[in-house]
Amino acid sequence: MMFNTGFWKGPLAAGAIAVITGLTATSAAADCGKVTIADMNWASAELAAYVDKFILINGYGCDAELVPGDTMPTVTSMSEKAEPDVAPEIWMNSVRQVINASVKEGRLAVAGNILTDGGVEGLWIPRYVLDAHPELTTVQAVLKRPDLFPASENKSRGAVHNCPSGWNCQLITDNLFRAYDMKKAGFDLIDTGSSAGLNGSIAKAYERKEGWLGYYWSPTAILGKYDMVKLDLGVDHDPKEWDRCTGQADCFDPVPNGFAKGIVTTITSASFAKNSPEAFAYLSNRSWKNVVVNEMLSFMADEQSGGEIGAEEFFKRHPEVWTKWVPDAVAAKIKAAL
Amino acid sequence: MEDGGWLLRFPELSRDALRAIKKSFDFGYRQFSRTYGEAIENVFEPLLQFLIWFEDFFTETPWMLIILGIATLAWLASRSWKLVIGIVVSFMLIGVFGMWEHTMQTMAMIVVCTILALIIGLPIGILMSRYDRAQSAIMPILDVMQTMPSFVYLIPVVMLLGIGRVPGLIAVIIYAVPPMIRLTNLGIRLVDKEVLEAADAFGASYWQRLTGVQIPLAMPNIMAGVNQTIMMALAMVVIASMIGVRGLGQPVLKAVTNQYFAVGLFNGLAIVALAIVFDRITQAYGRRLQEHTELR
Repeated sequence: MMFNTGFWKGPLAAGAIAVITGLTATSAAADCGKVTIADMNWASAELAAYVDKFILINGYGCDAELVPGDTMPTVTSMSEKAEPDVAPEIWMNSVRQVINASVKEGRLAVAGNILTDGGVEGLWIPRYVLDAHPELTTVQAVLKRPDLFPASENKSRGAVHNCPSGWNCQLITDNLFRAYDMKKAGFDLIDTGSSAGLNGSIAKAYERKEGWLGYYWSPTAILGKYDMVKLDLGVDHDPKEWDRCTGQADCFDPVPNGFAKGIVTTITSASFAKNSPEAFAYLSNRSWKNVVVNEMLSFMADEQSGGEIGAEEFFKRHPEVWTKWVPDAVAAKIKAAL
Repeated sequence: MEDGGWLLRFPELSRDALRAIKKSFDFGYRQFSRTYGEAIENVFEPLLQFLIWFEDFFTETPWMLIILGIATLAWLASRSWKLVIGIVVSFMLIGVFGMWEHTMQTMAMIVVCTILALIIGLPIGILMSRYDRAQSAIMPILDVMQTMPSFVYLIPVVMLLGIGRVPGLIAVIIYAVPPMIRLTNLGIRLVDKEVLEAADAFGASYWQRLTGVQIPLAMPNIMAGVNQTIMMALAMVVIASMIGVRGLGQPVLKAVTNQYFAVGLFNGLAIVALAIVFDRITQAYGRRLQEHTELR
């Protein structure tokens, strides 16, 4: 068709919807209607947003569309203006209080955890280093071998790559660096500056099969692409100690502590939860393992494609995952749309 | 696509073709960095040592000596008490607000960058002024260097050299060296034809004419180039810290991600203070050169 482009289609479709909603105002509310999904500016959330969009459109007949977002602005806008309707991937650690307050006031609804394993943070080393030195499973063992992880600017010392400047994990890694007395063990804490810098340092080490030790987190494309092993910190997560010292900026006497599992959930506006119970039920069911997410993110990175192509590939590769999220009838509709 | 579709939608390459291009490009670069990365890293090793030496020099020299040194430099360049006092006061403020170490790290970076820009920029500028063909070939390259968003080349540089000072320095120099080259070229080209004819009449060789006439007369412009290079290098401080370069950029970056307004402002002002200090010194020097040569 000649005019099958967005610019020409928009006004026509809007007119059609206006007519239809005018005629069937009551039943439209019971159906899914127009849904806006926050497309966050990091890859795993982008993938989730496209998966949700596809399922809501083809499985539940929603008129779903993505809007750009970032954690704080999106949560604020959802709670104040009920827009967008869905935020597929919110890392609760950073915004727990805001969200709990809004849920209490009846402005937001928590659909459920999107990551079955939760967000995993820690200190990691490449798999090939572990293969060559099988004893390096704990931080303590690694700290005995600064020679395996030489700093690029001073080969006589080991390097612990820190989390990017200004991120919360930077001060945590900094505290753990002191807690485990890594300086004395012959290591320096290397500032990576930005996530791009951190990723680049891993990619570089991997291409040359060099040692690398540092902070990272999952699910991420990097961990999908590069096989890394998380080190055992030797202790479990102690929330009290975390609040007292490990997570604090001005902590003078840090002691060893483990990372908490990050809770990562899907949030919707309260009105969406009320008006579209079936779609909301889907969002509550929808959760995937980090292995799957890492794999898809790495696929996206390799293909240099965005969430749309990543989502298509996910539907093809992992029907065993997504068919469990929806009733059989809906799954059949989605299969037909693929 | 149906008939006539290409009238409305640009007939772009297919998704697969585009992907193949992107992938082969990336693959090629990865192969390149895998094969030559270590060799290239070794080439830059002396530069790294030079940088580290400079940084140690600035951070370990007692603060009073540093201030004294800069004040002397300012006096020699400008012979203006006002400037000297202004510089001493601003460095005192930087120290009082706890930004001394970061400022010294940034200063070491800027000084090394300026030295390298001179070493790279002068010969290229001279080459361009001598041959029109060189000028027309190099100009577009300079345009690319100045306008290409730095993130685009930052990541490949990190893949090749890792994070830290050297890749940061390379990114800064790519951005900061063009004015040096442009103004050297311009300065030499602006030297009066009559003066050159006089030099030729005395039987000056090319080298004599260049070092004895053209460069001295182009000095004010070359100094303007140095000045611009320093300013642009300072503008890159924050970007460079995104790949782990130490200095005033780190706290700024931290402030940006956490909305620490005061921290950002203080460190931003320290960068401004450095910029003003360098700017006034180089400009005053350039002006005094002009007075000597009576080219005002």
